[in-house]
Amino acid sequence: MNVSLSACQEFDKQKGMLFCDVGIKGSGAARYSAAMYFYKQGRLSLEMLEICRRCSKFDHEDPFKLAEHEGIDLLLQSDFEFRAE
Amino acid sequence: MRNDIRDVEVPAEWDRRGLPGWCYHSEALLTLEKEELFKTHWQIACHVSDVPEPGNYHTFDLCGERAIIVRDSNGEIRAFHNICRHRGSRVVADEKGHCRNALVCPFHGWVYNLDGTLRGAARPDSFPDLDKNEFGLRPVECEIWNGFIFLRFRDGPQPSVKELLSPFAEEAAAYQMADKVPVEDIWTEETPVNWKSVRDVDNEGYHVAMAHPALQDLYGASYFDEPYVSGVSRSYAEFNRSGGRRWAVRNYTKMSKPQDYLPETLHQAWVYYGIFPNAVIAMTPETALFYQEFPLSTNRSLLRSGTYRHAEEDRQQRAARYLASRIDRETVEEDIQLTIWSNESMASTSFEGFYLSDLEYGVRTHHDHLRKVLPVYNMEQAPNEDDLQMINSSLDASVAQ
Repeated sequence: MNVSLSACQEFDKQKGMLFCDVGIKGSGAARYSAAMYFYKQGRLSLEMLEICRRCSKFDHEDPFKLAEHEGIDLLLQSDFEFRAE
Repeated sequence: MRNDIRDVEVPAEWDRRGLPGWCYHSEALLTLEKEELFKTHWQIACHVSDVPEPGNYHTFDLCGERAIIVRDSNGEIRAFHNICRHRGSRVVADEKGHCRNALVCPFHGWVYNLDGTLRGAARPDSFPDLDKNEFGLRPVECEIWNGFIFLRFRDGPQPSVKELLSPFAEEAAAYQMADKVPVEDIWTEETPVNWKSVRDVDNEGYHVAMAHPALQDLYGASYFDEPYVSGVSRSYAEFNRSGGRRWAVRNYTKMSKPQDYLPETLHQAWVYYGIFPNAVIAMTPETALFYQEFPLSTNRSLLRSGTYRHAEEDRQQRAARYLASRIDRETVEEDIQLTIWSNESMASTSFEGFYLSDLEYGVRTHHDHLRKVLPVYNMEQAPNEDDLQMINSSLDASVAQ
């Protein structure tokens, strides 16, 4: 079980967390934690981070839909593929 | 009795008194006990199998302190104060659970990596840059011994857990306790007595024949206690050859299978290790378990216990474990009553104190360990509550000189 992830693997893992299915137990906190990871890398806006914080206790709340509803900018870096594949 | 590793002989002459009654209802003493006994001595928090996967966590509260035990992304078990570095909130509010990514404080939303470092503060634009280590969760001293996770909130007089329990190292290793899995969640129950009354009952087997008919039926003929020596005690009993007259005991001894990984002396035995000041690890052929008690107030304590079984067990082993738990449950209920009777005597001005049997030498040695940590226990008359801490310090200094 002693496996350290490379930076690339960590990036992919966090991306998976950011876009994990809405409704899964603990997914709200997981999305917010991932949002913090990408914010620290300069890839996510402060506004989107705040949306994820507000949604972090609500596993059924989709922060991206909320952001869209509130007209929040998501992207900071154009090289970051922001949509779930 | 003497064994090769430690001198467990009961002396021919010894002081058969127990602690003075005031020690069981002094608020000032309880404050000292919390600080100098509970926070500075190793405490069993849980077992590695309570946090089997990365992201699993378990919390542990003790005397105003709180810890979180978490298995990090690399599979390493870590322990931290369950205190957010921002405003001190619990980072984790549940007793146990699984964190999918990082720990998020439920108060304002600070985010911590599973290795304790700060991933980021909520609304990071409202803070200067925060160093991830400086503002990380503060670690709690942690040691794993045969699968049991021990914590210590402050440095104290005990050596490492490994060294503390070294007299039993070979015997304990045989049980393969680290490979076991939880039977159920950790059990807790409040009981209306001072914590020392719980320990006073548990530290002697003199009462078994009178108070625990199931245990007597199971192993009463061979039961013996080794007293506390250098912080640890041991009790051992083999199943009675008569096979048991009570239903649960009779069927348990039939169902209990000798485990091929154990030496023959442990095939049909229950073994207990007392760990000063307040815990026991017990082994049976079917299970390994711990139990402990913590003070909530001078006259309330929290009983806490976890039981672990073989990861793979067949129907016979499962049946044996069930029957053992019946015997154990009955014993716990009986012991709770004994602790109430013992504790209430301490409030009576007519009670002149314990006069202990040779079979209760473990009680005395536990008290002697207490006296070594807090010399104020030696005072026969209750000191003024306001002066107790100062008196203890002065006695401490006089002992040191």
